[in-house]
Amino acid sequence: MVESHFFLMVLFSTLVGVVGGMLLKDTRKDQVRAAGVIVAWLVGAAVVAGWVLRVFPL
Amino acid sequence: MAGRTPQKTAPKSGPPIGLVYLAAWLVPGLGHLWLGRREKGVVFFVALCAMFAIGLALDGRLFPFVWSEPLVALAAVADVAAGLPYLLAWLAGAGVGTPAAVSYEYGNTFLITAGLLNALVVIDAHDVARGRK
Repeated sequence: MVESHFFLMVLFSTLVGVVGGMLLKDTRKDQVRAAGVIVAWLVGAAVVAGWVLRVFPL
Repeated sequence: MAGRTPQKTAPKSGPPIGLVYLAAWLVPGLGHLWLGRREKGVVFFVALCAMFAIGLALDGRLFPFVWSEPLVALAAVADVAAGLPYLLAWLAGAGVGTPAAVSYEYGNTFLITAGLLNALVVIDAHDVARGRK
């Protein structure tokens, strides 16, 4: 099975973004935009958290 | 009253709300399909079933109801919220979980999130059924 942490994170974020976008908005354009924002926030926050934990490990 | 924004009202006739809840929980997206939101229903079904299947494929665990361990019990509740995919996996004996696997925690995350998102989908179906959306 896939063991790439980044790939699994992006896959997870994409699925959550798709469902979240469909839940939050009603028009196609708004849904795509909301999904993109959710994916960007999830992936971006995870990358930032990863670098912070690299500098300040628990 | 003047200046008051018109409120969306519930449809006069529609499926019984209890059955909508049950359908929406059992099969992700079925509540929306039943209420005429075909596109949303299909997307919810595909995305949530895929998420649940990926969670199982990643060696995730279907948590048992162990009330002495609150976090395990909460994870079990989230798993059950996935509906029919959970029941089928449980009946098939899948979701044993392999803690030694690299992807074990990812699998758990996919499984739990699929259930929690389905709970949000059920709530959304409720709003649609009540005419709020």
